[in-house]
Amino acid sequence: MNILTRSWDKINPLDIGSYIRQRGYEALQKAIREMVPADVIKEIKISGLRGRGGAGFSTGEKWEMAAGQNSRSDLERARGATSNGKYFICNLDESEPGTYKDRTIAEKNPHQIIEGLLIGAYAIGAKKAYIYINGNYKKQAEILRIAVGQAREKEFLGRGILGSAIDIEVEIFEGAGAYICGEETALINSIEGKRGEPRLKPPFPPVSGLFGRPTIVNNAETLANIPYILRQGAKKYSQIGSSVSPGTKLFILSGAVKNKGAHEAPLGITPQELIFNSLYGGGLETGKEFWFAQIGGASGRLVPAGKLDQPLTYGNCEYPLGSGSVLVVDKNADLKDLLLSWAGFFHRESCGKCVPCREGTYRLWEIAKRLKNNDLPLTNCNNASERDININKNHKEGQLVRGEREKDRENIEDILWTLSRTTFCPLGKFASVAWNDAIKMFGKKIFDK
Amino acid sequence: MQIKINNKPYSCEDGDTILAVCKRNGISIPTLCAHPDLLPGEGVCRMCLVETNQSKCLVSSCTQKACEGLEVLTETMGVNRARKINLELLWADHAGKCAGCKKNGRCELQNLAEAYSIDEFKFVPRRKELNSENELDMLKNNWSHTVVDEKNPCISRDSQYCIECRSCVRACKEIQTIEALGVNYRSSRTNVGTPYEIPLDCIFCGQCSAVCPTAAITEKDDTEKLEKALADPKKLVVVQIAPSVRFTFAEEFGIPAGTRLTGGQAFWEGKMVAALRKLGADKVFDTTLAADLTIVEEATELLRRIKSGKKGLASPKRSEGGPMFTSCCPSWVLFVEKYYPEYIPDLSSCKSPQQMLGALTKTYWAEKEKINPKDIVSVAIMPCTSKKYEAERPEMKTGEQQDVDIVLTVRELARLLRRKKINPSYLEDKKFDPALGSATGAGMLFAQSGGVTEAVLRTAVEKLTGEELGKLEFEVVRGEAEYKCAEIEINNTKLRVAIVHEIRNARKLLGEIKAGRAEYDFVEVMACPNGCIGGGGQPQPANQSVRKARIQAVLDCDKSMPVRKSHENPAVKKIYKEFLGAPGGEKAEELLHTKFENKSKS
Repeated sequence: MNILTRSWDKINPLDIGSYIRQRGYEALQKAIREMVPADVIKEIKISGLRGRGGAGFSTGEKWEMAAGQNSRSDLERARGATSNGKYFICNLDESEPGTYKDRTIAEKNPHQIIEGLLIGAYAIGAKKAYIYINGNYKKQAEILRIAVGQAREKEFLGRGILGSAIDIEVEIFEGAGAYICGEETALINSIEGKRGEPRLKPPFPPVSGLFGRPTIVNNAETLANIPYILRQGAKKYSQIGSSVSPGTKLFILSGAVKNKGAHEAPLGITPQELIFNSLYGGGLETGKEFWFAQIGGASGRLVPAGKLDQPLTYGNCEYPLGSGSVLVVDKNADLKDLLLSWAGFFHRESCGKCVPCREGTYRLWEIAKRLKNNDLPLTNCNNASERDININKNHKEGQLVRGEREKDRENIEDILWTLSRTTFCPLGKFASVAWNDAIKMFGKKIFDK
Repeated sequence: MQIKINNKPYSCEDGDTILAVCKRNGISIPTLCAHPDLLPGEGVCRMCLVETNQSKCLVSSCTQKACEGLEVLTETMGVNRARKINLELLWADHAGKCAGCKKNGRCELQNLAEAYSIDEFKFVPRRKELNSENELDMLKNNWSHTVVDEKNPCISRDSQYCIECRSCVRACKEIQTIEALGVNYRSSRTNVGTPYEIPLDCIFCGQCSAVCPTAAITEKDDTEKLEKALADPKKLVVVQIAPSVRFTFAEEFGIPAGTRLTGGQAFWEGKMVAALRKLGADKVFDTTLAADLTIVEEATELLRRIKSGKKGLASPKRSEGGPMFTSCCPSWVLFVEKYYPEYIPDLSSCKSPQQMLGALTKTYWAEKEKINPKDIVSVAIMPCTSKKYEAERPEMKTGEQQDVDIVLTVRELARLLRRKKINPSYLEDKKFDPALGSATGAGMLFAQSGGVTEAVLRTAVEKLTGEELGKLEFEVVRGEAEYKCAEIEINNTKLRVAIVHEIRNARKLLGEIKAGRAEYDFVEVMACPNGCIGGGGQPQPANQSVRKARIQAVLDCDKSMPVRKSHENPAVKKIYKEFLGAPGGEKAEELLHTKFENKSKS
């Protein structure tokens, strides 16, 4: 079943004509000419589409929240709304390690995202839409820019879309390349020219977002599903994949798997099938033995061999799907490398707003480096040094000093505990997920060597 | 609405945060970023965490609003563990040089570290000067970006002590609308500082230092300068004490704000004089006397303006002059010079009391006592960080001499006394040196917002009508409102006055005047909350209730004074007779008035 990748190889991303020949912008025309915004939202709700960014919130319900906001209410004025109208934002900040689904869509079929974006903006009554793209994706930004230009020429966006009275402006906004700006309120701050830091919620963006106005932020992949839903009908879409979260999903396979890259598969598929079915991963590279898989990027959980049969859906499941990337780790991998890479990523990407995340991710990274180098903790540099340095020497010569390593273990437990429970936004929690699993599953291996 | 906290029901309003409900009911919750003077924050310190029945995670009580059916637990194992871990993490990112720290014993982080027994370093401290090569090796990846800024006379910043609570950022933005401070970098390099890390260039009101829980932003320390002057046998150290200081100084020594002493001179005046004498000051004068002078001069200036018709003209006719603005608050003056230079001609040309007394000490008093003014070190004890800057202004000179040489804030003086093991509580009250004379209740009113106006009115109305005032209190200009205006009828003309404190309100007022929506004859502006008693150099912690107690003390003091009108002060009359001539006269103009300069960057 192909929805997202259907016409990838039949389309020239730099030519809108080739997209139109694949029934492109049909859905937009249908929406504008035959449907009122409420119908569009109803259709999306029926389809059961859920956000593909990771949280899996119902797209239709989100749109409904923003559509229901009256313009310029007293409440908004009190919140300091500085403009009129509403905003629709496509989130293309994609920065999860091992994930490159959104930017692949943008590269292969940019109009699919733009069409979805326009339909969404129409549905909630937004006159201005943004594509917020990670500043590192220069090529994709350029492709999108060309696509927006061509769509404007064809009157799919801009003033008086398709001869109607509807105006929707689309702006490509390049961020500075921060992971946290994928969080919707941080993204909004970034567009406003403020520090990319998450805001206090509530109010949620559909109520008060960009410049204090109702704002929808949708993941690029979510939007790429919209044209199909309107063209083929919500009913048909809702029958694809799993009942709790219909549709297909782009999975990115990486690591020790044979067929690396983007694979489209219906939701509800099991990791087992994704990794070993020849349609997708095709098993492990020759000579490698499966150890565990990580689902959903650096913030994802670790799945051992015995648990590969859990279906991947948005909804209550043991192993959240997240961004949909699957990292396959084989038995030759160095766990300490992985730990360091996870900790390093979250340390680098913490926005620095709240204490447990700012300091906790830093300390985790510090300890990960020590584990990697087999160094021992230096707890207090005031009385450092000679004693600790000697211990280190002895240790390196093969003498194990258990007590010192035990300290690291306690500190890790404390940090993970506070990261998973007390941070301002979910980034802190994400930073603890893989580490928690690794320690539960392989604690002995990490600390006893 | 009712919520349950620790299994007990408490009633609360819609929109109350858990922290607010707890505070109201005496349930203690630690916090490092929820300063009561600031708008509800975003919960960055993660200290005020509590457990609720509505979330699996711990929630920050400063952001979580009360709602129907909410049950809160404030002291569970989990809550305490979270607080302790977060505190440990924060502590390792803090310089931790407590013994030599300006805020030792007054640091909120230190207090929490004590309360939660943070007694060992679990992590390698990363804000530390490096002493040996081994340490350098260990710390090379622990790099922490440290910014030290001492490039202004008023405020020193040292990010070694900073815990990124952002209270200063919020104070600067919310109270003063200056936005001189912000947040730089991200992740563990996150640092509170100025844009592009340029040296601090603001109005130096010091509110950032007043809300800082640690020693990251403090008043610039001039205690050593004073010690040096005191130790120099050739120098005569003359100290003046600002009106507001005597009402707050006791707080530095553990006495609650507004506490009255039984009998004797008002408040801690006598103790302060005694402590300064003990410290070695040769003379201790009362700035309040100069406040009386300021009022006489300012009232004269106002009357002159009214008589010449230059009054109350709204913005469209700016060339004809607007209201007269007070100029005794140096931060406000600096604000006008930097951001609204078109209003410079409307600032009263009077020097502030500090500068007037400094000038008189080195001229009138020095002549009288036959002392070479070069041998005088003029010291001022002030509630204010900005006064340090004012004293250094090139305009503030008489001859070659700077009017005031050293300015110490209340906090600095208290620190110096503690260092010298002088506790004023145990000293016998002493009186000010009589050489310059005593002060009036009108001068005392300078300590709080609205006071200058009331004092000026007492003098101006009598001079205009030629009759004695029946009732001295002008209640219309009193109160804690942030924007007060009133009309006072004198001889069938109306004197329109406005009083604001905090620069955000001053900005609002200037906007109103500029737009022609408001017309005034006299406008009093104080940069700090409630005026000098909420000054940037006053004891911490300050909040609305503390300031309220301080204001009451000021008003009571005014009431108890034998003379309550500045122009009736015999000492003031004597100084005019012996030295200055008439108010607004040539000599007064030379010594007691100053000029301002356009400092805007555009």
